[in-house]
Amino acid sequence: MGTGIEGLCAFHAEEKTVTDTAPKASGVDATLRALLADILGLGEERAAALTADSGLFGELPEFDSMAVATVLTEMEDRLGIIIDDDEIDGEIFETYGNLLAFSQRKVAG
Amino acid sequence: MAEQQLWIRPDKSTPPATILFVPPLFEEANRTRRTLVLAMRALAAQGFAGLLPDLPGQNESLVPLEDVDLARWQAALADVADAIDGPLIIASLRGGALIDHQAKAVAWWRLGPVGGASLLRTLMRARVAADREAGITSSLESLQEIAKAEPLLLAGNRLSPTMVAQLGSAEVQSIAPQRTVILGGGDAAIAGTPLWLRAEPGEDRAMAEAIAADIAAWSVACGIS
Repeated sequence: MGTGIEGLCAFHAEEKTVTDTAPKASGVDATLRALLADILGLGEERAAALTADSGLFGELPEFDSMAVATVLTEMEDRLGIIIDDDEIDGEIFETYGNLLAFSQRKVAG
Repeated sequence: MAEQQLWIRPDKSTPPATILFVPPLFEEANRTRRTLVLAMRALAAQGFAGLLPDLPGQNESLVPLEDVDLARWQAALADVADAIDGPLIIASLRGGALIDHQAKAVAWWRLGPVGGASLLRTLMRARVAADREAGITSSLESLQEIAKAEPLLLAGNRLSPTMVAQLGSAEVQSIAPQRTVILGGGDAAIAGTPLWLRAEPGEDRAMAEAIAADIAAWSVACGIS
C-alpha cells in the first residue's frame, strides 16, 4: 500500500496546525486507552480515568459485540500482535485491568 | 438498477471538478457519513461539486447485499464516474479504496485505506462474539468453512461466498496520480479521530474541513483550477 504522494502532481500543502491525536508509542497502557477512546468514543478524560477495576463489556453500553471485534483488530494493528480465537474468553473484556494484563502478556510474547 | 446519489453542488458557476466520494464499507459507512457530508459542503463552498453514491446493497439500495461482491461495486463506481461531465477526482475512505481503481478519473485521494482481510476479520470476530453471548461456539475457522458454500451473516451483513473470498484477498491497488493520507500529524496526514471505528456514529467538523482542504489542495496540484 502506498503512502504519501504517488504520481505526477506536485503537491504543496499549506502550513497547517496539526493536533496529533494518534497514540504515542509510550507503552501498552497508553495505546490501549487511546484505542478504547477511539472505538467507544470515551473522550480523553474518561479514557484516562479507567482503572483496573473499571468494567467494560456488560458495563459500558457502547461495548457491544461489534466493539469487541473492533478492539481486537485494533489491538493487533497498534500493538503489533496476533490474537487467536482460542485465547479470547469473556473474562478478558470484563475489566480494563484484565484487558491490559492480556495485552501486556501478548506484547511480551 | 440505478442507486441513490447524494449531490452537493456549489451555488453558482461550473465547478472546476467533481469529487466522487467512495464511502467505507458496511457499518463503517454509517459511522462516517455525517462527516463526509460536512466535507462535501465545505468543498461546495470552495466551488467543487461533491457526489456520494450508494453502492449496490448498501445504505438505501434495494439490491440484496447477498447479490453483491467487490467486482460489482468496482463496476458500479466505474458507471457512476462515466456519467459525470468534466474533471473527476475520486476520494475514497478505508475499504472504499479497495473498489475505486476501475473508475476513470483525473486523480485519486485516499484516507486511511485498509485491506479487505482486516475488514473481514473484524466482521467475523463480531459474529464470534455475538455467538458467544448467545451460547453458541463458533470460530474464525468454522465461519470461513461455512462461507465457502453458503452466504454468511456477519454483523448484520449477509455476504456471499464470492464476497467473502474477494474481501479476504482484496488489497488496495496502486494507481496514479494518487495521494494517500492517514490520521495524525505530518505531510501526508490530517488531524482527526477514526470515526469509522466508533461504536456510536459521531461527527467531526474540524476533520471534515481538513479533508476538504486537503482534497482542494490536491486538485490544484493535479492542475485543476
